[in-house]
Amino acid sequence: MSGQAPAAEWGPMTKQRAAIWLISISVALLAVGIIGGNVGIVFALLLALMLTGIPISIALGLTVLMFLYLLTHVPTEAVALKLFTGIEKWEIMAIPFFILAGNFLTHGGVAKRMIAFATSIVGHLHGGLALAGIVACAMFALVCGSSVATVVAIGSIILPAMVKQGYPKKFGAGVIITAGSLGILMLPSIPKVIYAISTNTSIGALFVAGLFPGMLLTLMLCTVTWYLARKRNYPRMPKANWGQRWTAFRKSVWGLMLVVIIVGGIYTGVFTATEAAAMAAVYAFFISVFVYKDLKLKDVPRVLLAGANLSAMLLYIITNAVLFSFLMAHENIPQAMADWIIGKDLGVVAFLLFVNLTLLLAGNVMEPSSIILIFAPILHPAAMRLGMDSVHLGILIDANMEVGLCHPPVGLNLYVASGISRLSITELTVAVLPWLATMVVFLVIVTYWPSLSIWLPRAMGMM
Amino acid sequence: MKILDHLEEWIITFLMGSATVVIFLAVLHRHMAGYHIPVLQDWLLSLHFGWAQELCIYMFVWMCKFGAAYGVRTGIHVGVDVLVNRLPVEWRKKAVFVALIGGAIFTGIIGTLGTSFIWENGMHYAMFHLLGLDTGDLPQGPTTPDLEWPTWVVYSAVPMGSFLMCFRFLQVMWIFSRTGGLPHHDSAHVDGLSDDDLTFEAAVLKGGAK
Repeated sequence: MSGQAPAAEWGPMTKQRAAIWLISISVALLAVGIIGGNVGIVFALLLALMLTGIPISIALGLTVLMFLYLLTHVPTEAVALKLFTGIEKWEIMAIPFFILAGNFLTHGGVAKRMIAFATSIVGHLHGGLALAGIVACAMFALVCGSSVATVVAIGSIILPAMVKQGYPKKFGAGVIITAGSLGILMLPSIPKVIYAISTNTSIGALFVAGLFPGMLLTLMLCTVTWYLARKRNYPRMPKANWGQRWTAFRKSVWGLMLVVIIVGGIYTGVFTATEAAAMAAVYAFFISVFVYKDLKLKDVPRVLLAGANLSAMLLYIITNAVLFSFLMAHENIPQAMADWIIGKDLGVVAFLLFVNLTLLLAGNVMEPSSIILIFAPILHPAAMRLGMDSVHLGILIDANMEVGLCHPPVGLNLYVASGISRLSITELTVAVLPWLATMVVFLVIVTYWPSLSIWLPRAMGMM
Repeated sequence: MKILDHLEEWIITFLMGSATVVIFLAVLHRHMAGYHIPVLQDWLLSLHFGWAQELCIYMFVWMCKFGAAYGVRTGIHVGVDVLVNRLPVEWRKKAVFVALIGGAIFTGIIGTLGTSFIWENGMHYAMFHLLGLDTGDLPQGPTTPDLEWPTWVVYSAVPMGSFLMCFRFLQVMWIFSRTGGLPHHDSAHVDGLSDDDLTFEAAVLKGGAK
């Protein structure tokens, strides 16, 4: 229903080619439906509906209704009941709160102060402003759970500044697109909440587990940027002294305090994850309006409405995904998939490769929340049987989502950055390549080095 | 029509804001009640916030249902458009119609299912009771655990929201058939981008990096 941009980029196919595509797709789906039995029918139906461009939430719901009505004797009342009770879970309510907190942070001048602080630390190195952008994204990611919000918040300030200093626009956009994806890896993150809900993993452990991988990715992105900047001789900024650094830190400390509230609150048991999210929202509102005064009180309803719009969309997908997982459980699909995967005798290494490839492919057509809601319940049982850690799988999925966010055709970060920089998606796709390659290397590291993710939550006794 | 649009926006803005405030107060209350401040503590202990969590959940469920309808109007419900956008123009138009009709059908069915569900779970009784008719052996319907509200009232968000959403899909379809335009959610929209150079300079200066 959305995203007219790709059509403009690549242009429509000729009728003949389109017909060939459509026919081959329908033949493939039919084959899947016939060969795969009930499992095949469910997924063929879902894919067919999704390819018409129906919103994913509705495609999920329609698949369930059609399948239950046509092929089983499950009473429709069961569906109705699920619709009511599907999202009545306290943990799910963390999502709207985190979205709201992110919205307040984006509009409230927190990003600006974090950038100033980051600039005072790394600004004097080669490509100083670009490095500052990455570090600021990492800091913002510590308190914000969405990568799009991170790109908007940091990118809309640092990109114009970089262009003004003489960086090529493409370079700046490439840096911000990839660094922005840290938003869903570091500490709080909406995809992590969704994963936690669909697999019953501890939200707190997942939050903390993302810290070291996030720091590693920050370091890797910084190294690549520094190397490119030195080779191309991009401008450096005057070195700040310790006094200036202290001032910059003091100004940004209000935003950084949120880390203490969220992680400290959950860790000490003062709050549940949802309450911590609500506290974060109230705190972000408070500093935006009363401390930094960058947000006017009269603009607050607009921020609330934008937050509500996005949350409602996510909650709606979740409601329908609950229906879908009800159908999957009814047909025993996750169990069958797990049996099939175990039966292939893949071993952990090959299984993880398979997981990564599947998720990267899915990242080409869907956005993170939908991917997690559809794939986590399928992959989780198999991973558990192979002796993997639930938290590690969560971080792995998260890292995959990050890569998906940074490349076309559905990488949201690209679209946001394209909106800020007025560069076309095609240009950005090329611009982002050096960092995207870095992220793929990072993905391999995260995949095959579990302790990187699970050491910290273990050490803190959260799992 | 304008009134409906505004009402929708007001409802979800209000629900979002007040749910946050309710949870904030509940947490604050829980921790403040732990301190030994003579009169304040007694007063705080006399208040019960046990229902806050439940209220918050229902507020968000309502927000979700009405917000989803609002989302149809703002085009925030994303789908897989990789294939559709590359189809020839007339075919794309047909595909969009199929998608919108699918949305309308699904929400219509859910609305109908929801209505019959709440009707059988207490609304029937409540209506007859209200009108003074013989309720016979109709079930009175369950109530919610903490707030003790009748569940059919709480759950009426599902049919109401679904029918509203169905209406929105039909509305979008009508507009699309007339003008060929679709609502498009622009997540890249940033306010006040024009003066960002200034704010950045100011921030850096204030931050002392220069």
